[in-house]
Amino acid sequence: MKPFRFRATVNGRPVDLPVDPRRRLLDVLREDLGLTGTKEGCGEGECGACTVLLDGRPVNACLVLAPEAAGCDITTIEGVAVEGRLHPIQEAFLEAGAVQCGYCTPGMILAAKALLDKDPRPTDQAIKTAVSGNLCRCTGYVKIVKAVRLAAARLAREEGAV
Amino acid sequence: MKKRGIGVGCMWYGIGNTGAPNPAGAFLDFLEDGTVLVLTGCADIGQGSSTALAQIAAGELGVNIEDILVVAGDTGVSPDAGATSASRQTYISGNAVLLAARQAKEVLLQEAAGVLGAAASELGLGGGYVWRGGERTPVTVKDILARCRQKGKLTLGSGWFNPLTTGLDEAGQGVPYATYSYATQVAEVEVDTETGKVSVLRLAAAHDVGRAVNPQAVEGQIEGGCLMGIGYALLEEVKVDRGRVGNPRYAEYILPMSLDAPEIHAIIVEDPEPTGPYGAKGVGEPALIPTAAAIANAVADALGVRFYDLPVTPEKILAALTAEGDHKSPDE
Repeated sequence: MKPFRFRATVNGRPVDLPVDPRRRLLDVLREDLGLTGTKEGCGEGECGACTVLLDGRPVNACLVLAPEAAGCDITTIEGVAVEGRLHPIQEAFLEAGAVQCGYCTPGMILAAKALLDKDPRPTDQAIKTAVSGNLCRCTGYVKIVKAVRLAAARLAREEGAV
Repeated sequence: MKKRGIGVGCMWYGIGNTGAPNPAGAFLDFLEDGTVLVLTGCADIGQGSSTALAQIAAGELGVNIEDILVVAGDTGVSPDAGATSASRQTYISGNAVLLAARQAKEVLLQEAAGVLGAAASELGLGGGYVWRGGERTPVTVKDILARCRQKGKLTLGSGWFNPLTTGLDEAGQGVPYATYSYATQVAEVEVDTETGKVSVLRLAAAHDVGRAVNPQAVEGQIEGGCLMGIGYALLEEVKVDRGRVGNPRYAEYILPMSLDAPEIHAIIVEDPEPTGPYGAKGVGEPALIPTAAAIANAVADALGVRFYDLPVTPEKILAALTAEGDHKSPDE
């Protein structure tokens, strides 16, 4: 099929490249842009490993066709750290021990970011709901919830300091 | 109607198979700048073995964990460590790394003994210094490393560990493991007698791990095991129909997700194992073993009906409650 011009903003940078319209956003990110931090798990929208933010909203990149993401502001795990400094959510995941095998982690962190961008003081129930589309087989979610809670507290303090 | 129940599950689990050879090896190089290179065949699949092995090397050599570089599971350069399976790596590869560290340490202590006019057996390493009889000497580990290099001595170590292979007798019996981990878990559940749904409200999981080399990682293993155990108890069943898996996707093979996760209280019990590195045993599989029993017992406590096959699904619960109701006379 004739390629279309995929124009979007990925992690703050403009992207413009020819893409077969049958391909998924996940393939464009991983294969064309080399952003392999986004993981493919099930490939059918059930595990959440490929979660990225599309205009701030968490989506399964395996279920989004590339043309649907054209013109959008896309954030992958590579765009979460700012100028080489880990985002407070990433710091909190490290500190709380919320990472084991790591395969769900990029999607988990983006789901958490989408939550905290909207709801800076979430309840544990809200945190569990926000990551309920992201399966983790290692942690039992205990330390993931703890990490998001910790990140929320830190972000609130940073906000307070500004 | 919602009914609550509490159940207990206990287990013991063998660590370090002895029925067949079960070795692991490690190489270690204490470099001149004070960093330590550890080569191990132990594959870290997320349980945190590379961190635990770095901690063991750091503890033995008295350096910071930041100074340890672990190269793990690269068959091009690392010695065999067997599989990351059977909850064996902390115990077996941990011992291999400990022995490798001791060998390199012995070279340093011999050299330090000459400098301090002491016997090597009186000396130790800690915080970057040489210690003598529990007191810090002014001699640094880097001084000793430099002296070794001036003499052309390399500070290398290699180690391997194999729990004594006992084999099996004619009846296929013997001493199957080097040591055992023990655990008890308690589950509190709520069963909806109308829908048959079981909610696990709380789990307490006490695990004897010998010694927790990395307590946060041990907690992570226990918490993860508990949630996997909930899946085993209540949800997960591979349906095979004439050789085909009938439910090969997450929409059909249901795993516990974040909203199913109860309060989990991981309790670390430390009864040091004399043959383990710093007393450590294993926790990976034990974390999941007693959970289903604890939950099934809690369901029995709530309903007064016992279930003998897993998972205890709402369908099975409703069928059992209906059958029980049928046995009762209407006026009961």
